[in-house]
Amino acid sequence: MFLTRSEYDRGVNTFSPEGRLFQVEYAIEAIKLGSTTVGIRTPEGVILGVEKRVPSPLLESSSVEKIMEIDAHLGCAMSGLTADARTMIDHARVTSQNHAFTYDEAIGVESVTQAVCDLALRFGESMDNESAMMSRPFGVALLIAGIDEKGPQLYHTDPSGTYTRYEAKAIGSGSEAAQSDLQDKYHKQMTLTEAHHLTLRVLKQVMEEKLDHHNIQLAQVTKEKGFHILTEEELQGLIDSMPAVPAPGAAAA
Amino acid sequence: MSLSNGAILPATLASGTVKKVIEINKFLLGTMAGGAADCQYWETYLGIQCRLHELRNRERISVAAASKYLSNLVYSYKGMGLSMGTMICGWDKTGPALFYVDSDGTRLKGDLFSVGSGSTFAYGVLDQGYHWDLSDEDAQELGRRSIYAAGHRDAFSGNTINLYHVREAGWEFIGNYDVTKMHYDGPGDVPGAPVGGYGYDVRIKTV
Amino acid sequence: MPHQERRFNPYTENGGTILAIAGEDFTVIAGDTRQSEGYNIQTRYAPKVFRLTDKAVLAVNGFAADGNMFVQKVQQRLEWYAHAHNKPMPLKAIARLIQTMLYAKRFFPYYVYNILGGIEEDGSGAVYSFDPVGSYEREACRAAGAAQSLVQPFLDNQIYFKNQLPPPGGAHPRHLPLNDVLSLVIDSFTGATERHIEVGDGLEIYIVLAPNKSSVELERLPGVKRIQGTFDIAGDASPDVTAAAAAVGVTGEKMFVMRRELKKD
Repeated sequence: MFLTRSEYDRGVNTFSPEGRLFQVEYAIEAIKLGSTTVGIRTPEGVILGVEKRVPSPLLESSSVEKIMEIDAHLGCAMSGLTADARTMIDHARVTSQNHAFTYDEAIGVESVTQAVCDLALRFGESMDNESAMMSRPFGVALLIAGIDEKGPQLYHTDPSGTYTRYEAKAIGSGSEAAQSDLQDKYHKQMTLTEAHHLTLRVLKQVMEEKLDHHNIQLAQVTKEKGFHILTEEELQGLIDSMPAVPAPGAAAA
Repeated sequence: MSLSNGAILPATLASGTVKKVIEINKFLLGTMAGGAADCQYWETYLGIQCRLHELRNRERISVAAASKYLSNLVYSYKGMGLSMGTMICGWDKTGPALFYVDSDGTRLKGDLFSVGSGSTFAYGVLDQGYHWDLSDEDAQELGRRSIYAAGHRDAFSGNTINLYHVREAGWEFIGNYDVTKMHYDGPGDVPGAPVGGYGYDVRIKTV
Repeated sequence: MPHQERRFNPYTENGGTILAIAGEDFTVIAGDTRQSEGYNIQTRYAPKVFRLTDKAVLAVNGFAADGNMFVQKVQQRLEWYAHAHNKPMPLKAIARLIQTMLYAKRFFPYYVYNILGGIEEDGSGAVYSFDPVGSYEREACRAAGAAQSLVQPFLDNQIYFKNQLPPPGGAHPRHLPLNDVLSLVIDSFTGATERHIEVGDGLEIYIVLAPNKSSVELERLPGVKRIQGTFDIAGDASPDVTAAAAAVGVTGEKMFVMRRELKKD
């Protein structure tokens, strides 16, 4: 049967003659519509930051949840179709607990990331031997932050099931500007507070609204306290303590 | 096990040193009687299910729900030979809570239970000394004295006693007590305990 | 004539005895090598003690067929873990894994008593003992098998100082030195061989030393052989880190086996 080029868009498991999986590529595009999400690794711990879009004053900003706990030593921030992320994060949580049950130890950061990516590639398959199918790729990218015996780590996953480790990474609509900003300002020996401030600064530059403690969410994973989402008071404190930003002309595109 | 301002959870060690109190998490304890592996395995399993509940609902599981999870789980194995007699003990929104769960499927809420081969001996002491308004120290001493009685009269109980106290901030390990030492010298310098041994002096000396 | 019931009996008891003792910075795991069925000796050399990783040794006793199969399955799981997580499995993780593997066969158990010994992540010596369906605990010493009832009370007295009064004004030592422990192990087995028909032929003693612990004294003893690690995945230690550590005399765990003859009657 002859398939026109556009028909290769249809099947999620069908390669185009050029060797591409269009649905997976489109799913990656979906992330670029998501809100900006930033992750920074420092020797003390990992910071995750997200922009919460609050399009209406009637919207309860506290009900928007874009950073979630996987386990005491693992956190996760998302961008894209956040509903898809719930399935992935639940899988990560179950994987982490199963590891703790079987091995009496905390799972490694790379190992949970791998487990999430294994799930990301199961589209077009039925799950758990049930008839329910995962019909399409996940439309979400994750930043997985955590600490294990290798120290603080930050991983990025995308709908193709690929994962990569980063020192600092931005995803979502403002990711291009944010990433080049991170590249300029990041340095390996950053303190946790410096990383907090950099996260805020990067988010501030890509956000349309004025940044305040309602329209962003920040979390950290540290050796001492594990995963922790900053409270609104802690956020306010951080925003107040931000050093003055250099001339806006210095900001990348 | 007795319960007052908190829940007191003592247990004996029949097979020498096996820990009969299983720390399910910071707020939940389970006891072991019957099949050691059955109790250890399923109560550890219960621990990870409780943690998943916490992650999914952003709230700690209630003692009632945790004990019912275990109860339903062992009931699904009914007739296959599991042997567990356990007390699930903890603190939740409703305060201190204590449940008896066994492999027959029985699940009872109560404020006083004793399980295992020496339970009848422990009940004797427990029932006569229990009062709803016991102080922390007196409740701990009652738990210790009850298990001592079981260790003394039951051939399959003895060795040492582990004592835990559950409060709002989670459980606390109070101590490990040698039953033989308690017989001759008492539990040592602990709050609520009498001076001298529980068994020897009263039998030998004219007190 | 009374009715004879016929029943499937999948298990045999193959005798032998194993034991393990944890020191402060070493662990000793030993077993005899006789395998018997009733009054018959099937072989005079059937190992019951197995190296699992560079710092873990497993002794199995009970039904030999189940024991050998169980060790193979544990080794398979260790290899899978090493590939999945890029590090050898820590001792306490192996202990928990063994519990889950034993309990997975709760309704048709491996008829095996396991004792796991080795070095913990914090560098301390550790012994874990298991029942056939997976109940386990960490201890300082444990004997299991045919002569458990002969050996364990001896160990309780010599290791835990049970029924011994401390010297006036002093206390019992918390840990014994390696040489004392090795003597106790050898005495345990020669004693058990004298009084138990299922124990004898050969003795295999595995010794695992914590990183930093010197092996000079041990290597002078007769019949001691160093076992070189074959475990490729060394975790995240890069070659130059390993070399630097070796230069200042800090190396990883070292494992030795010591073989002795036992009476064959």
